[in-house]
Amino acid sequence: MKTAKAPRPAGQGIRQSMSGLHSWTGLLLGWILYAMFLTGTVAYFKDELSQWMRPELAHQTEVPDPASVAQRIADELAGVAPGSPQWSMRLPDARNNSVYAFWRTAPRTPGQRGFGEGYFDPATGRTVSARDTMGGDFFYRFHFQFHYMPVLWGRWIAGAAAMFMLVAIVSGVITHKKIFVDFFTFRWGKGQRSWLDAHNALSVFGLPFHFMITYTGLVTLMALYMPWGEQAAFKSQAERRQLTAELSAFIQPGQPSGRSVPLAPVADMVRQAEERWGRDAVGRVTATNPGDAAARVAVARGDAGRVSMSPQYLEFEGTTGRLVAVHEGVGPAAETRGVLYALHLGRFSDSVTRWLYFLVSLAGTAMVGTGLVMWIVKRRQKLPDPDRPHLGFRLVERLNIASIAGLSVAMTAFLWGNRLLPPGMAERAAWEIHVFFIVWALALVHAVLRPVRKAWIEQLWAAAALLALLPLLNALTTERPLWHSLADGDWVFAGMDLMCWALAALHAALAIRTARHRPKVRSGVQKTRSGGASDREATDRERMAGALPRKGEA
Amino acid sequence: MTHLLPFALCLAGFAALALAMDRQQHELFGRSLPKPTTRALRTAGSAALLLALGVLVGRQGWGLGLVMFSGHTSLTAGIVHCTLIGYMRRAAGAPARR
Repeated sequence: MKTAKAPRPAGQGIRQSMSGLHSWTGLLLGWILYAMFLTGTVAYFKDELSQWMRPELAHQTEVPDPASVAQRIADELAGVAPGSPQWSMRLPDARNNSVYAFWRTAPRTPGQRGFGEGYFDPATGRTVSARDTMGGDFFYRFHFQFHYMPVLWGRWIAGAAAMFMLVAIVSGVITHKKIFVDFFTFRWGKGQRSWLDAHNALSVFGLPFHFMITYTGLVTLMALYMPWGEQAAFKSQAERRQLTAELSAFIQPGQPSGRSVPLAPVADMVRQAEERWGRDAVGRVTATNPGDAAARVAVARGDAGRVSMSPQYLEFEGTTGRLVAVHEGVGPAAETRGVLYALHLGRFSDSVTRWLYFLVSLAGTAMVGTGLVMWIVKRRQKLPDPDRPHLGFRLVERLNIASIAGLSVAMTAFLWGNRLLPPGMAERAAWEIHVFFIVWALALVHAVLRPVRKAWIEQLWAAAALLALLPLLNALTTERPLWHSLADGDWVFAGMDLMCWALAALHAALAIRTARHRPKVRSGVQKTRSGGASDREATDRERMAGALPRKGEA
Repeated sequence: MTHLLPFALCLAGFAALALAMDRQQHELFGRSLPKPTTRALRTAGSAALLLALGVLVGRQGWGLGLVMFSGHTSLTAGIVHCTLIGYMRRAAGAPARR
């Protein structure tokens, strides 16, 4: 988004039109994109968040033996979901201290399928006696399908936003003509120019990541957005089933024989898989028609250490435990999809890479945020009457506050809800989410009612305070305060507390900067948002102008 | 250890590339550096980045290697950028400026 006030010679056409395209695609779905980016960023730590949100589950010092856990849960599921045509469990790993399982319930009415799900304690096999919560999965799911609306609608909206993002990235690169010359440039305290520099730096440094994450985001849902190829190519049920098999490790339940034969030891099957892929490489165990003579068990490899979501699994005969098939490769098209999918989710990564994902993704969030603010900063100086801006301007201004500062407040409120809502309350998990949306809506109301500057400052301080006090709330409401988690080497809880303080400091710094900032009137009605002493700025400007042949925007 | 070397290489690489830029030279030294110095900085910086890529791809394969490289370059470019901003803010705030 370069500003070119003076009429330029021919050849500026494409850049001008790209600049317009960039700012409008960026704005139109910008608030949704900001929310998708921030909740998606946080979702890279969704397993850790889920652990934090179930404080009743003890800190896991080492990953329990997957084979015995699988056996324990399989036995439990035989009781919990008797006659189920299929169950599937995710085994605990370094980041998960519980077993998540879901099962199909025997159809009550023909043609209808029911599901059940639950979290199990790997040590006892019993259902986890923890508070009812969606955990970090809420942010993960919200990030691509939102809430309070049919899942498919949410995914379509997310897809539209991702398309806009892709357009914004490409048009932004074309617009940003001095991409290399301005690579390390930041001009402090110069209003729009500073915002532009910050926006450019955040965008350019993470460019490979931003492009990758947007593109692969679309790939994860491509079958939803572009189903026609698939529909044209695969006509029969058998072909469809073949396609599913290429894309996931779920085996379709066949017809049960009706003869009941107990399942062979699942532990042995998991051990066989571990011999093949190494310890802790098993991710998931699925059984179809368990307890029936026609039972099948699939032991699937986890995501760690391989950049692909393509399924790799061993298929066993359920009654004997005999290995019947090895699925370790898919076709090139399916593998491409598997790799792109894995890149988006980043589940393969070690903890350093995960932090890199998190940080660069946070920069992406800031990129969208600075872009939204710039729309306002850029237009404020062109307002005919700065005291009475037009409706559209005021709308964007208020929505910016609620969707940027307000989202931080709401996300933190969600975590407060997790600690404060009574453990036994009905629909507890749903109410945690209601808390998130209620607080977010209140933030919007606040942003509309208060003067703009005050609204920014107050919401940023609110987020800072909520974040800073969250470790204290955790210490008061659980047995796992920071000093304990540090002594126990429990980095999930300690890391959460420390991260809250880091983010609180970030919000406080933003609040202080906004509060210190005095809007300057310079060259007509131009106002700036960033601080900095004006005399110093003037000398800086002279220096820049003297030292450099090119001129700034002033 | 997997990440330390590539991280250091990327950091050094971007620092050299930043010093090779005209605007930054003026802000840091008050003048342009001699052409050969600039060229050497640019070559060294690019070489360090390429080396980091080589190390990561060599150890992790193309898939993981490229992802990690992209992460390290983004992070280190940000660090160099923020360091430059901090340095120039201090220089600008000091009573006797260069």
